[in-house]
Amino acid sequence: MENRPNSPSEAVHERLTLHLDPAVLEELGDDFYLSSHFELLPISEARYSFLKKGERLWVNYPDGEYCDFPFYRKNIVLMLRGLEKKIPSRSHAQEPFDLLVRTTQSIEKRVFSAASPGRHTKDLWDEIIRKINSLSLESHSLRDLTEKLLSVPFLQNFETSLVILHLKGQTKAELQGSLWRTEKVQSFIEVKEFNSFFNSVKKSKIKSFSTDTFPKLNLPFNGSFLAKEVISRKYSLVAVASRHDFLSYGREEIELFETCIDLLQPHFERLIDQEFSDKRISELRICLKDFPLPLRIKNSVTGTSFQNDLMKSELQEQDIFFTKKVLGPFSLDLYDSDELRHYAFDLFHFQRISLLGELLNTLRHELSNPLFGLMLGSQMFRTLEVSGDNKDLMKEIEKNVARCQVIIENFSNLYQIQNDPKPVLLKKIIDESLVLAKSEGREMIKKVSFEDDTEYLEISVPLIFVVQILFNLIVNAAQALRDAGTRAGELSICVSREGEGIAIHVKDNGPGIAEEKVAQLFKPFFTTKASGTGLGLVLSRNLALKMGGNLEYIMNNESSGAHFALTLPVS
Amino acid sequence: MKKIIIIEDEILIQQSLKKLFERRGYSVDVSASGKTAIDMILVNEYDRIICDLMLQDISGFDVIEESKKKFSPEDISKIFVIMTAYNSPQVLSRANSYQCRLLNKPFEDLDEAMRLMTE
Repeated sequence: MENRPNSPSEAVHERLTLHLDPAVLEELGDDFYLSSHFELLPISEARYSFLKKGERLWVNYPDGEYCDFPFYRKNIVLMLRGLEKKIPSRSHAQEPFDLLVRTTQSIEKRVFSAASPGRHTKDLWDEIIRKINSLSLESHSLRDLTEKLLSVPFLQNFETSLVILHLKGQTKAELQGSLWRTEKVQSFIEVKEFNSFFNSVKKSKIKSFSTDTFPKLNLPFNGSFLAKEVISRKYSLVAVASRHDFLSYGREEIELFETCIDLLQPHFERLIDQEFSDKRISELRICLKDFPLPLRIKNSVTGTSFQNDLMKSELQEQDIFFTKKVLGPFSLDLYDSDELRHYAFDLFHFQRISLLGELLNTLRHELSNPLFGLMLGSQMFRTLEVSGDNKDLMKEIEKNVARCQVIIENFSNLYQIQNDPKPVLLKKIIDESLVLAKSEGREMIKKVSFEDDTEYLEISVPLIFVVQILFNLIVNAAQALRDAGTRAGELSICVSREGEGIAIHVKDNGPGIAEEKVAQLFKPFFTTKASGTGLGLVLSRNLALKMGGNLEYIMNNESSGAHFALTLPVS
Repeated sequence: MKKIIIIEDEILIQQSLKKLFERRGYSVDVSASGKTAIDMILVNEYDRIICDLMLQDISGFDVIEESKKKFSPEDISKIFVIMTAYNSPQVLSRANSYQCRLLNKPFEDLDEAMRLMTE
């Protein structure tokens, strides 16, 4: 690629290349661009604040200082750095400051008129800047601004204006804008393709490209185009404009385009922020709408309130179980009733499961390397170093390591919340639950039996729900047997067909549950244990109902022990 | 093919592989640090570089990037074997871009893994 043509002379200052006419350069002398008052920076290095004061932009310098900022043209800023430091008080030093501004103004006029020969008069620039400012303020979205960009004077013979936006952390970049000035387009681009495009644009000095160069980008038009990158903390963006022809772009056009995009950066930022927050608000609304308890948010200043669908008028004030001042005038009321509490338990349960899932995932990642090391080490010893009996011993080590790998693998699969459960062998679910409750149920004898050909039956229900219910029942039985001091405690799990579905009967030979307490078994916070929460059975029944089944206590006069039946549909 | 370097920070894995390769007649260097390994790669001539993806200091891909000073892309596709326990789509696509071999940890079959690393 060539540098910009017709460049009369170049004065390089740090990263900036300022193109100056030799005559102007001579007139200004070295003092101009090496003066401590001036620093020439690409415009993207200075962060604008959105405030405008008179005709001057206020700029927040990277080092945090604010300063009146008189000029910006093209992609170059003239920065008056250190003014605040050198002139302690603005009021005392108004005169030298104004003088400096005036001097700068005159220098600026000469520099830019010399550097932009031809039709780029100050008037055209002013018109462009006015236009950009006004349409930025009119635009209510990034797409809107992109479409309106084509009304900027020098872009009037362009046909297409697009932006490709990649928000940091997203897996895809989004292309949007208008084609042929009328047709709205939107598509998504893989991050990898976007990054490589972004870097090409960033590295390019001439900022003009051809669609042939980026076939994977699938740009919605063919031909040459201008592109300019914008980068910020939260996103990277490339603005694209094309006339839909194969002619190359003139130097002025390129410079004008670049400057326009630079000038638009704060507006891009503002619109992206706004879209972000709109999206967040709508997501928040959905969350609040689906919140599992009746909920109302009141604004004490305006008197307005938001409430979700569960919030019904017949709820009484005394039902409130939670009120909190959330933020400023906003307060949050949560309502409660026995029936409604179940929702809260589900939420609690869901959170617990997700947390467990995360923990197990971490654990799996952390354990996988050392376990693999043990496996490999043992294999190495077995094949290379040891013989005879020791070979068998090494094999035994390998088997145990493999078992650990399988256990950790199974557990983390178990705790993944599945939206679309796959069929699982019923027998496997029961075995898994018994393994989980192994330490609690150590002392009791466990009998598992299958009736009506259920041994190899597969069911499609969330694995974790069933395991959780069975685990609860097994642990309850084990604790009851232990507390009652039952000798030869026994747990039997029996699966049989029941109607369209199946029933899993969990029985023990402990003291059972007193008749007067049975009615309360499935009520929240009811417990017969000293350290119980009274939530286990409530949760379990909720989970069973969720799967289209039920969990019930079976009253049985013949045997003394407790007997629960979990019914599940078979689909 | 005679000389191999194994870059792996899990010492048990590193040493076991070293012994397994030595027994098969290779001369084996090891490094637990990616940065040290880069120096070794630039100075020595290795026929095969077996590199874990998640090292303590840098990633296996960084090692490949630094090795570009010495090797052509074709060399890299032949010489490097990446070992990983986390084969996310990003990792797979990056490994594909170097066209080098990718080996999942734990190995399903040791002999098969050894064959893939040396052939």
